This record gives sequence, structure tokens and C-alpha cells, in this order.
Amino acid sequence: METVFTQYAWLIPLFPLAAFILLTSFGRSFKGLGVMVGSAASLASLVLALLVLFERMGEGVEDYQDGFKWLDLSTIQLNIGFEVTNLSALMLVIVTIVSLLVNVYSAGYMKSDERITVFYGYIALFTFSMLGLVLADNMLALYIFWELVGVCSFLLVGFWYQKPEARAAAKKAFIVTRIGDAGLLIAILLLFWYMPNHALDFVNIQNVFNEQTGTIAAGITTLIALLIFVGAVGKSGQFPLHVWLPDAMEGPTPISALIHAATMVAAGVYLVARTFDIFQASQAAMDVVAYVGAFTAIFAATIGVAQNDIKRILAFSTVSQLGYMMMALGLGSLTGGIFHLFTHAFFKALLFLGAGSVIHAVHTQNIHEMGGLGSRMRITAWTFGIGALALSGIPPLSGFWSKDAILNTALHENPVLFGVGVVAAFFTAFYMSRLFFLVFAGRPKGEKQAHDSSWTMTLPLIILAVLAVVTGFVETPWNNTLGTWLSGGTETTHTGGGLVMVISAAVGVLGIYLGWLMYVKGTIARDAVSSRMPWLLRLLERKYYIDELYQVVFVRGLRGLGLLLQAMDDFIIDGIVRCVGGAAVLLGRGGTRLQNGQVQTYGVITLLGLVILIVAIAGRRFW
Amino acid sequence: MSVDNMAQQSFLPLTWSDAMYLAPEWILIAFMIVLVVLDLALPRRSGRKVIGWLTLAGLLTSLGFVIGQVLDMNAGTEWPIRLLGDSYRIDAFGSLLKILFLSATALIVLMSIGTVKREDIPDKGEFYYLLLPAVTGAMMMASSGDMITLYVGLELLSITTYVLVGIRKHSVKSAEGAFKYVVTGGISSALLLFGMSYLYGLTGATNLGAIKDALLVQGAAGDIQELLYVSFFLMLAGFGIKIGAAPFHFWAPDVYQGAPTPITAFLAIVSKAAALAVLFRITFNVVFPLSNATDMYLSQDIFLTILVLAAAAMIVGTTSALRQRNAKRLMALSGVANAGYLLVPIGVSFKGLHMQNVGEFMFYLAAYILMNVGAFAVISVVSKATGHEELKGFAGLYYRAPWTAAAMIVFVLSLAGLPVTGGFFGKLFILLGAAQSQAYWIVAIMVVSSVISYYFYFGIIRQMFMRGGGDEAEVDMPATTGVVVWLCAVLTVALGIVPGPVIGWVNEHFSIIRDLFIMSP
Repeated sequence: METVFTQYAWLIPLFPLAAFILLTSFGRSFKGLGVMVGSAASLASLVLALLVLFERMGEGVEDYQDGFKWLDLSTIQLNIGFEVTNLSALMLVIVTIVSLLVNVYSAGYMKSDERITVFYGYIALFTFSMLGLVLADNMLALYIFWELVGVCSFLLVGFWYQKPEARAAAKKAFIVTRIGDAGLLIAILLLFWYMPNHALDFVNIQNVFNEQTGTIAAGITTLIALLIFVGAVGKSGQFPLHVWLPDAMEGPTPISALIHAATMVAAGVYLVARTFDIFQASQAAMDVVAYVGAFTAIFAATIGVAQNDIKRILAFSTVSQLGYMMMALGLGSLTGGIFHLFTHAFFKALLFLGAGSVIHAVHTQNIHEMGGLGSRMRITAWTFGIGALALSGIPPLSGFWSKDAILNTALHENPVLFGVGVVAAFFTAFYMSRLFFLVFAGRPKGEKQAHDSSWTMTLPLIILAVLAVVTGFVETPWNNTLGTWLSGGTETTHTGGGLVMVISAAVGVLGIYLGWLMYVKGTIARDAVSSRMPWLLRLLERKYYIDELYQVVFVRGLRGLGLLLQAMDDFIIDGIVRCVGGAAVLLGRGGTRLQNGQVQTYGVITLLGLVILIVAIAGRRFW
Repeated sequence: MSVDNMAQQSFLPLTWSDAMYLAPEWILIAFMIVLVVLDLALPRRSGRKVIGWLTLAGLLTSLGFVIGQVLDMNAGTEWPIRLLGDSYRIDAFGSLLKILFLSATALIVLMSIGTVKREDIPDKGEFYYLLLPAVTGAMMMASSGDMITLYVGLELLSITTYVLVGIRKHSVKSAEGAFKYVVTGGISSALLLFGMSYLYGLTGATNLGAIKDALLVQGAAGDIQELLYVSFFLMLAGFGIKIGAAPFHFWAPDVYQGAPTPITAFLAIVSKAAALAVLFRITFNVVFPLSNATDMYLSQDIFLTILVLAAAAMIVGTTSALRQRNAKRLMALSGVANAGYLLVPIGVSFKGLHMQNVGEFMFYLAAYILMNVGAFAVISVVSKATGHEELKGFAGLYYRAPWTAAAMIVFVLSLAGLPVTGGFFGKLFILLGAAQSQAYWIVAIMVVSSVISYYFYFGIIRQMFMRGGGDEAEVDMPATTGVVVWLCAVLTVALGIVPGPVIGWVNEHFSIIRDLFIMSP
């Protein structure tokens, strides 16, 4: 099929980039510019991304790659280009939709902020980087954008830099993800070293690892795959590098929705999916991905049960759901992972934006200080409820279908992981019902008269709620559209039939019912567990003491090492540097002394220089 | 006219069709004559801006013709054009350099139109149209294959620039600079002519191709080596003064400081590059072929000397700049270091492994032109605003004129050789070339001197950002200068983003055998 729009896919990231440049240049003079420019750019990107997506739905569409040679150093060639595959086309649409809705939403949420244009500038820069990451056709370009989204995340988490917590969170987010980035960088260097012709583009990577010709030794393949996964662990907040994501909630809530729920944190999942051939070439790497994902899924879900900050609960939920996606990929189901990424992006963005609407109305993030908001904030309550049901996996909402796809795969591949997934699903439903009932049901607590926000904030909620309902139907037991389209028809999900569906729906309902009993009906006392096992509550509240552990082991340990290194630096390295610097200054002083302004001196030096050259270079031949 | 006849005739007429190839040069001379008359005819009180614009028009017309010639060169077989028995060659080497010279001069003229004021330079008309013979001289140097035309071009360039340096008649510094420049230029010419006369005496020829042939014949005898050493060392010293390589650079800071800023830029770029071009032509035509002769160390020694000069220029240039507080003197010393970088592609050997010396040279020269013109343009507006040329005039520039400061950052990054700028790739290409030729010691010196240079380049950035504005003088950026600054900044970044196509284009239009070597007729 002839493609028309796909050739121009490189334009998609350029709209937000133009918006960023425009806002940075003129933003200070035009206060109201941010909303218009930011939204217009996202809308333009979204339209083009949708056109590309529709084009790719046709029969027999080839992957499209284009680019130009950036640098040709005879042995090494670096290319800059873009590649449109079905996977990247889907990601483009996800990113642009959420970005557009967040742009609109922020018009209300950030209305009274002094630096709103700066905020819009950052969002535009982030959207550009994220779209660039999705479109990149080689590892190096991907890495550049990977770092760029990290920088944007840093800037936006620390957007309210007056707050010390925000500053600390931004720093933590940046440093912890850097650990993962270092792994990714080493993986890229290894690939560069071992790939034939030093090729780094995905097409070649796919070919080399797909053929299994042993071009690259098995051990190296596993090492590369694991190092790539380290990068993904950092970005996607998987255990043990998950600690930055909950703290990142210090940023403005629209940012949490855009970056820390729907798009950037999913970049790790996208990276694994993009380099899936490397992983498939190594069973060991696949197992690591699956087990780390499954452990993260249940680990974060249990923490979510004991948190009291509305955004932190959602953050741990994100960590847990990303764990599901990783588990699906590790079990070999590309479709399952990407399907869940797709549905999760919408319902989690919905939940965050809804939480933002609540925070905007009551000015607190502690769920125990809220209550009875359901009657006053009808739109927020309804849409939030839909999002919560979707996340809890209640049919026929989107989250049910994607979770079902993952559990199906797990049942076939690894029954233990299936069990883990089911338990995690139960906890998910429980903490969501706890959150929902505490916030929206019961009696109002705040004295403030809370009410629904302006249309700029509710409209995105409604759109996302619709998406949270319908997006699941692209891949159901009787409809394999997404799976066929993504994997080229080789992969099937939902083969488990009704059993998995029943279990999955049942644990969801059970979790919600338990929440209802505890927090609405009061049949079971809220402290039924915590009063009997206070240590368990503390353990969960303190998030298994991981932060404290890192504080002791890494921060203190590193500080000690740092002192040692600093001593070395001060005395040895610095000494050498000072010697070199001193020599340079001395030379310079000598030159300045000769530079005395007397032209006759210059003439003499010229002749002396000539004589020295002759004696030193020609003279040695004739002595 | 066929080449065979030419060699036998004692008198070589220039036919009309041959003369057409000289169109770029003719145009410049014609414009100059017209402008001299116009300057006389215009009433004394009227502004001389029109002469500036017409000078620019002349330069651009000439540039158009040169570009036309380069684009033709791959089409026909009759290239290169060898006029007057190879004394004047229209080949890709010369023409690519002419493109650079003409563009650089055009940018300099454009930047002057906004900044040059009559109180400062009484004869504004002269200021503009004297640049035309100066650049014509540089073009002659780039094109000549004979020591006579080469020397005539050199003097044409030198004498006009002596006048231009001293054109701020009422300024003592300007007069002092001009005087020093004349004296040093005289020393340079004397050394050059002395060296050339030895070469003529030994071979009986002034044409570079003929000299090479004669030397190859006599080289076997081996008894003229000592005299050849003297000849080449004298010439190297003469060129060393012109390009400002250490230890022949001491005139540069004084003269650069005294000259009007646009003329400083012209000296730093066109004068330097023209002398480098001639050195390139001579060493590759006369010295390089001798490397095959038996019992001759001469060739490798001369190339070594060039590298030693390059190393000395880098070290002395960067270390002397560390303590410099005057912006233009700083640029002069930075120019000394850059002369060192530009000498490296000439000095590293040319062999099967490494054949892109000219491409590296041209690329860095292009980047050097852009970053220098841009930096000088910024210096001229800043010093006009503050009334002095000290570095502290840049203090707090970011808060007074953020856009100008941003452009200056691009130039400073490029000068320091950091990505993503043209200066980075220029240095990188030269560095890789030297590494391919296994001249590792010069690679090490390049790297070390670059690192030292960060100190004073970042001094400028520190002034702009971290110091409060010492004086709150408003920086007034005339439109013409603004265009130059932004053109240079954008192109500097563009060279850093897509260096491949540029160096590819040069390598495509340039064949070292066709365009640089002068074959026997």
C-alpha cells in the first residue's frame, strides 16, 4: 500500500519543539500564550499521529525508515533517522493524546501559577523528546532522547523549586534513573562493539538477533539484554530502582499524569519491546524480566494498601502495573505488555487528573482528610470511578481485557507467576476501593465548599473516561485485532478461555467488596489487621524500608568512599593539575614579558627563532 | 591555446577567452575603480554607506562567478585552467579558497556598514573599497603557481592592509599598529624574497612545477641540500610572520588592537588564510615530491619544521592568552593558536592512509571564518557600547542583551572546540588526520592546548553570565551587524550538526592531483 503520511512522521515531534522554542523566546512577554501554543502543537501532532496510525492499519504495510548520514568517519557511520512500525505508531498516538489532554487540563490546574508559560514550555519540550524517543531508528538516537526526557522529568518534578521536598525529589529522580541509564549506555557500547559494521539501528539489530546465527555469543547477548533491562528498570520504576517514582509526585499533578503515569515511565517497557529480539535470543534475560516484573507488581501493590497520600497510592499503583507489563514481556507476550501499556496510559492518566481535580478542590493530598466528595464533584467522582474500575480489572472496562491477556499468558507459561498476578490484582482492587470510598463516600470532612472544576479540567476527564471504557475492545477473546496487528499474526492471547476471565473478575470484585465492607459498611473494622499485626502496617507504610536501606548502604557507604576519593583528588590529581596549570601560567608570563611593545624586539625574536629552528632541525643533519 | 605551445613561446599572451576565467578578479578591480571615482564625486558631507553597499555588491558578484566556476569543474575535462604557463591556475584548490575569502570579506563589510562611524574613521569610502584590492591579492595568492605572481599577490594584500590598519588617522594606537605592521611586514617580505631568490638561483625557474622538476633532477647529486635548507627556512619564517605562528607572532596583538575591529577580523582571517594557502601550495608542490629522492632528509625535515611551528603556535598562543584582559588581543592570541591548528594538515604527511589534508584544512578554515567573524562582530558592538575593548565590557552581557550573549556562546564554544559546533568537527577532523598519519605527539599537543584554551574562552562566558553589569551601557546592535552575527551563529551550529555533507562536498570537488599538484607541461 502506498503511504502518504508516514513519510512525514518526522514532523510529529517538531510541532512541540517549535512550541517550546516559541514559548522560551516570547513566553515572558505573552502570558496567555502557553495554553494556546502548547495545545495547538499537541493537537497538530495528534492529528498527524492518527493519520499515520490509520495508514498503518491497512493491509501489508511495510515498516518505514528514513534518515540521513550524520557523520561519516570512514570506519564509523552515524545516522540520524526515524522508523515507523506498528508499535511506534501506536505509541505516537498514546503520547500525543495524553499530552494534548494534559495541556488542556493544565490551563485550569496551573491557572494561578506565575510561571505557567515556563511550565508549558517544559511540557512541549518533554512531548518533543518523548516523540523523538518513540520515532528513533537507532539506539544512539534513542539514548539521546532517553536522556532528554529524563532532563524534562527533572525540570518538571522540581518545577515548584521553592519547596525543599520538590528539589530533593527532582534530584532523587534524576540520580536514580541515571543508574539505569548507565546500564543502557554500556549496553549500547557493547552493541556497537559486537554488531557487524557497528550498526546500531533497530532493523539491523532485529536481523542479527532474529537469525540466531551465533553472530553474537550467547553470553554477550544475555549481558546486553540485561543491561538494556537495567535501563528500563530505572526509567519504569521497577524494583529495586522504583524509589524515585513515588517521590516524583512532588511535581504538579498534570505532570504526574503525563510523565509519571502514561508516557515516560512506559518508555522502559517500550525499550524492551523495541529490542525484543535481543531478549528473545536469551531465555535467562527473559526470565529475569518476568520475575522482576512480577515481583514489582505484587510488591508495589501491597505498599499501595498502606499509603495515605492520594498521589502516592496512584504512584505505587503505576509501579505495580508497569511490573505487570514487564512480566508479560518476560513471558514472551509482546502483545500483552503493549496492550496493557495502551489501556493503562488512559485510565492511569484519568486517575491522576481526577486526583488533581480533587486536590485542586480540597487542597490536601491525605485521603483521611477527604470524604463525601462524591455528591459535590459529580463529574470527577464518576470519571474517577470508571478509572478505578478499569484499574481493578472489572469487565467490560479496558483494564480487564489487558490484564486478562497477561494472566492468560502467565497461566500457560508459568503458573507461579499467574498466582502472583492474581494476588496482585486482588490488592490492586482493594487499594483502589479504599481510595475511592475514603475520598468520595462517607461524610464531608473539610470545611471548604468543594465543587467540580472548570470545563478545561473536566473535559479531559470525560474524554479519558470514554477511552478507559472502550480501548479494551481492540483485543478480546473474540477479536485479535491488536495482537495480529502488532506481532504480524504470530501471537494469540486470551487462549485460556473463560476460566482466567472468571478468576480475574472475581478477585477484582472481591477486592472491591472487601474495601466496601471496611470503609463504607464498617462490618470489618478498619484496623482489623493493623491492630493485630502493627509491624505489618509499619512495614508497608515505610515501603519495606527500602529507602532507609539505601540510605544506609549506598548513601553512607558512598559518602565514605567519596571522602577517600576526594582525599586522593585533592592531593594527587589536584597536584598534577596544579603543576600543569602552573607551567602554563609560567609560559604565558614569559610570552607576555617578550611582548613589550618594541617592534625591534619582535624583529630580533623573529630572527632568533629562525636561527634556533635552523640549528635544531637542519643542524642535526650536518653535524 | 594548447598547453604544448605555451611552454615553448617566450612571450605568453593572455587571450580573451583566457581572460574570461579571471572574471572574479576583474570584477573586483572594476568595482574598486568605479568606487574610487564615486568617492571623489560624492559630496564630502554625504554618508559613505552607499560605497559600503556597493563594495558588498562587488564581492557578491565575484563570489557568484567563482561558485559558477567550481560547479563547472566536475563537468568538463579542460579543468584546471592553466594561464600564462601555470603562473595563474583556476583550480578547485584556489577557487574553494576564493569562496571562503570572498564570503568572509562580504561578512566583514556587512558588519562594518552598521558599526563604522565617521568620527572614528575619517575616510569611510577608502575603508570600504580598499578591501577590494586586498581580497584580490589574497585570491591571486590562492591561484598562483609561480613565485612571481604569488609575491605580487602577497604584496597587494599586505600594502592595502597596512593602509587599512592605520585608517583611524586620529588614533595613536592605530598609527602605532600600522607602523609596526609595516616594519614586520617588511621583515617578512625580505625573508621571503631572500628565500625565493635561493630557490631561483638553484633551479633557474620561478614556476613551482618547473622548480620541482629541476630539483628532482639535481636532487640526485645531493650537493645543494644545505642551500635548500636555508631557502626553505627563510621562506617558512617569512610565511610564519604572515600567518602569525610562534615565534613570529609578536606583532599580532599590537596590530590587532590598533586596527579597526573589522580590519582586525580581515587580518585574522583572510591574510592568515591566504598565507597558509600559499604555504600549502609550495610545500605540496616543491617539498613533498622530494621525499622520494634518495639521500634527501630535506622533505621530512621541512614537514617536521611546519609541525614544530604548529606546536609552538598552539602552546604559545594559548598560554599567552591566559593572562590577557583585552578582547582583541585575546582574539589575536587565539588566532595564533588557530594558525597552529591550521598548520597541522599541511605538516602531517600525505600518504595512502591519509589523503584528506585539504578537506580538513578547508573545513576548519570555514569554521574558523564563521566563529571569528561572529566573535569580532559581537566584540565591535560591545566595545562600542562600553567605550573600551577590555574583557570586562562583557560583564553581565546576558542581562543586558541576552540574544547577543547567546550568539557569543556559540562562537566561544566553537573556538574552544566543543560540540555541537563547526569548531568541534574542524578540530576533530584535523586530529583524526594527524592520528592516521601517526603523528601522535602533535595530537597530544592539540588536545592539551585545547584544554588550556577552555580557561580563557570560558572567562568570556563567565563575564557574560556570572558578573553583574559593571556599566549598564545599552548594547545597540545595528541590523546589518545583527544579520552577520546570526548568520555566523546559525552556520556554526549547522556545521556542527551536518559536518558530513560539507566535507563531502569539498572532497567531491577536489582532487589533489588535478587541483594542487602542478604537473610538467
